[in-house]
Amino acid sequence: MAEPSTASVRSFDDEALPHLDALYRVALRLTGEAAQAEDLVQDTMLKAYRSWRQYRPGTNAKGWLLTILRNTFINSYRRRKLEPVAMDLELIEPHALYRAVESADPEGSFFGRLVDEKVLEAVDALPPDFREVLVLSDMEGMRYAEIAEALQVPVGTVKSRLFRARRLLQAQLYSYAVEMGYIKSREDTDG
Amino acid sequence: MAEPIDCAEAGARLQDYLKRELTPELAAEVRDHLVRCRGCFGHAQFEENLLHLMEARARRETCPSALRERIRGLLRAEADRT
Repeated sequence: MAEPSTASVRSFDDEALPHLDALYRVALRLTGEAAQAEDLVQDTMLKAYRSWRQYRPGTNAKGWLLTILRNTFINSYRRRKLEPVAMDLELIEPHALYRAVESADPEGSFFGRLVDEKVLEAVDALPPDFREVLVLSDMEGMRYAEIAEALQVPVGTVKSRLFRARRLLQAQLYSYAVEMGYIKSREDTDG
Repeated sequence: MAEPIDCAEAGARLQDYLKRELTPELAAEVRDHLVRCRGCFGHAQFEENLLHLMEARARRETCPSALRERIRGLLRAEADRT
């Protein structure tokens, strides 16, 4: 197999290296810790470099790199991570957080008080399939079609996973807000 | 002129609307509804605030420079092997 030439090293630098921040952020959310995230990004970049010939210049480099990152994660990292206990999706009430905040916090101070570390913790606690879609969409700003390509699933699956991921996230933030006394729980309000 | 959409329809389209994945026509119908409906407007704003918070938090994280340098070095070494 032919190795990349010097010219292709340069184009790899230009097309792939600008995405290191995004790759690192996604790696961090997938692995849950910095040391593994660094290893994962490094493995990803080496693999990407070695298969650089398969990449068509000018297409979506970020998506292509994220596909490699994700496959590498699933093949050699996922089993190393202790996954949080899966949440029961049936128990999640639609828009629970919004409704509660709407009635309990008309001035909208909720977001001022919500520590963003808590949001990150809530993201990290999501089941992996939901977490990766939420991270790519809401943290990296990728479109449905790009995510579908990176994860090799239909666009409809991306949409439904994102919908459920956001609900799960809000349910966690709701419990947190009640615990901290930012909002009253439904049971308290209803009687 | 199409029939205005109701809260259920606006709610069903909200995720796609906020991700800017609707066609201009469908997005305009949602926008018209949000202007008229305070409840849905509040909900949309809430979702948007949460999205901004998540995105802003994510952007604070960047690839450590030591890792960046290590990767550059590894790529050079790979190139030199040929």
